[in-house]
Amino acid sequence: MKDVMGILYTSRSELSLRELTANRSVAALPVAARYRLVDFLLSSLVNSGVRNVGVMMQGNYHSLMDHLETGKAWDLHTRNNGLFILPPRVGEGANGYVGVMDALRANLEYLRRSKQEFVLLMGGRMVFNTCFNDMFKQHIENNADVTVMYTKYDPITFDYSSSSRDPRAFVNVNDEGVVTDMEINPNAASYSNILMDVVLMKRTLLMHLADQAFSHGLHDMNRDILQEYVKSGMMRVMGYPFNGYCRRIETIKSYYRMNMDLLDANVRKELFSVNPVFTKTRDDAPAKYLPGAKVTNSLIADGCVIEGTVENCVLFRGTHIARGAHIKGSIIMQDGDVGAGVELENVILDKDVTILSGGRLISEKQYPIVIGKNVTL
Amino acid sequence: MRKKQMIAMLLAGGQGSRLGLLTKVMAKPAVPFGGRYRIIDFPLSNCTNSGIDTVGVLTQYQPLELNSYIGSGQPWDLDLSGGGVFVLPPYVRGKEGQWYSGTANAIYQNLAFIEQYDPEYVLILSGDHIYKMDYSKMLADHIKNEADITIAVRPVPWEVAPAFGIMNTDESGRITEFEEKPAKPKSNLASMGVYIFTWTMLKKYLVEDNANPNSKNDFGKNIIPNMLGDGRKLYAHAFKSYWKDVGTIESLWEAHMDLLKNPPEFDLDDHRWSIYARSPIMPPHFIGENASVENSLITEGCEVYGNVKGSVLFAGVSVAPGAVVEDSVVMPGCTIEAGAVVRRAIVAEGSTICEGAVVGEETGLIALVGQATVLPAGYKVKAGEQVDNDTLKEAL
Repeated sequence: MKDVMGILYTSRSELSLRELTANRSVAALPVAARYRLVDFLLSSLVNSGVRNVGVMMQGNYHSLMDHLETGKAWDLHTRNNGLFILPPRVGEGANGYVGVMDALRANLEYLRRSKQEFVLLMGGRMVFNTCFNDMFKQHIENNADVTVMYTKYDPITFDYSSSSRDPRAFVNVNDEGVVTDMEINPNAASYSNILMDVVLMKRTLLMHLADQAFSHGLHDMNRDILQEYVKSGMMRVMGYPFNGYCRRIETIKSYYRMNMDLLDANVRKELFSVNPVFTKTRDDAPAKYLPGAKVTNSLIADGCVIEGTVENCVLFRGTHIARGAHIKGSIIMQDGDVGAGVELENVILDKDVTILSGGRLISEKQYPIVIGKNVTL
Repeated sequence: MRKKQMIAMLLAGGQGSRLGLLTKVMAKPAVPFGGRYRIIDFPLSNCTNSGIDTVGVLTQYQPLELNSYIGSGQPWDLDLSGGGVFVLPPYVRGKEGQWYSGTANAIYQNLAFIEQYDPEYVLILSGDHIYKMDYSKMLADHIKNEADITIAVRPVPWEVAPAFGIMNTDESGRITEFEEKPAKPKSNLASMGVYIFTWTMLKKYLVEDNANPNSKNDFGKNIIPNMLGDGRKLYAHAFKSYWKDVGTIESLWEAHMDLLKNPPEFDLDDHRWSIYARSPIMPPHFIGENASVENSLITEGCEVYGNVKGSVLFAGVSVAPGAVVEDSVVMPGCTIEAGAVVRRAIVAEGSTICEGAVVGEETGLIALVGQATVLPAGYKVKAGEQVDNDTLKEAL
């Protein structure tokens, strides 16, 4: 895979993710107690042998930049190739690109300078862990022009929002693996295969498509480009099935559910045992369980200090749960501080949230309460 | 090469034979400590936190584990082009080759390495101790005193003083006498094996020491007494915080129990003085439905379904339902199977304690299971006993 480069399109904030993406892109969302969503995408690329990765930024990208640093955590801090952070240019994406094609057009120079023959274009809102080697092999062996990765859709795990910036695409794939139809944002999809925003093609083809899209006023890869080619049959667009754990983070509900899925040993195995997932290290001490701690069925990161009761929770690095606190079904992001006697149920606390002693927040699994970053209650 | 005010030389070649089976396949500085660290992380992190960016690590005994652990030095921010961390094993010159014959000889053989940086001072460290120390304060003392050598000392209980190198000082802190393991100590200030030398002075004494065929080429036995004899300026720098020699199974276990006291005697969760370590790249740990975890440190990658109390679990340890781990230290990647009991014990990296096996007892000495051991179902390891795959094979 050394002849394949990766390029990531990171989406802006989403209304349906409420406060969680107020100041960060979807790709920068903290997930799974110590990661950000982008870690899974980058690790999948690196584990496949990809050595050149560009990340197209837009909107509020400081938290993503802070996380990626020089690419050290993914061994992408190399002299040749490595990680390229592609910030928006004034007027071209500072306020957000309309679609992925606009972002690619703005970064044509990076694509032109890269040496790899092929490029994997990825969206920034899917969670999965895989290697792309088989997909690449299929692409070559079948003489495909474009290969798209898809997975089985079900409405419960792929909770969606009509306000989402990135259209969802469903495809029909025939026995030979050729995509024969594509539906964009249907109310009732005819097919059960949803695209995972992973697209493989020649680098020069992607550059050509980006330039063409710009000159014709087109913005979206699936709706404006691939769908046309599939319809006309002018290009051989093939599908590659992914059967592992995969989630699209589009709403608070899907975000909450994805995190809670990790309390299932099988999901942990699918996301973590196949290939290692790399992330920025924080040098926290191991988690400390003090006398009186009662923890069951929970995923907990290093640096936590626990004195209270924790059930069915996901605790990020540096969280403190004080004596007598009782938290259930909740997600507490980095450095959260839950005071003595506090009761929380089905709550998402963003980073650095403090809940002072005696507080009580109870919600439903279907609609978890979200408390924004740096808030003290 | 950019000139450095001070570089550090870390003596990491010792076997640590008093750690028994634990150091059979790795040098003592590579021994895991505190859930996500190894002993060498403490001096290396102290260097980084003290502003020292060039460290030579002298290895000799079982260096593989240490070499791969240190790698490029990235975890300690020591992957620099103008300095960084360097592993310095003994090497062959011309037709001769020589092992490091003593602590002073190890430094002598690397004079060329030190000279590249043209330092004013050289810090000599060992990779045997758990402590957080700001070496820059010690250097400030050294410069203020215009000393030739400054030795870090700490008060030890009088009854154990005969086991240490003891410094007798005057009111200004100048060392007037140095006694290696004295029967009747006159002071309780023990050397911590941390020295700052003025480089020109260190070089002179190393060259002279090397020319003396009767020398043991040791800092404590030769260099320091020689300097004292010549009337050089030796100063003591008192260090009063936590410092623990983890040279035996008992003291290694005790140091882990110190981490668990509330408040801890030694706090790893210190954002002003972080201890850096190579990340094991593992997911967060998981505590299962019927598990109980109390008064313990749990590291990433662990899966706990059993009962853990008063223990330190390193990265990637799994504890099956019904298993009991109490007052113990379980090193990376171990599996404690259902119904197994681990009590007052150290279980070394990658071992499996099979169903119903028992390690250690409620009282008595600490039991040890060596690296990558598979302890058969139902097997019992008594208090103070040490087993690994080889001893088990012999026993059968």
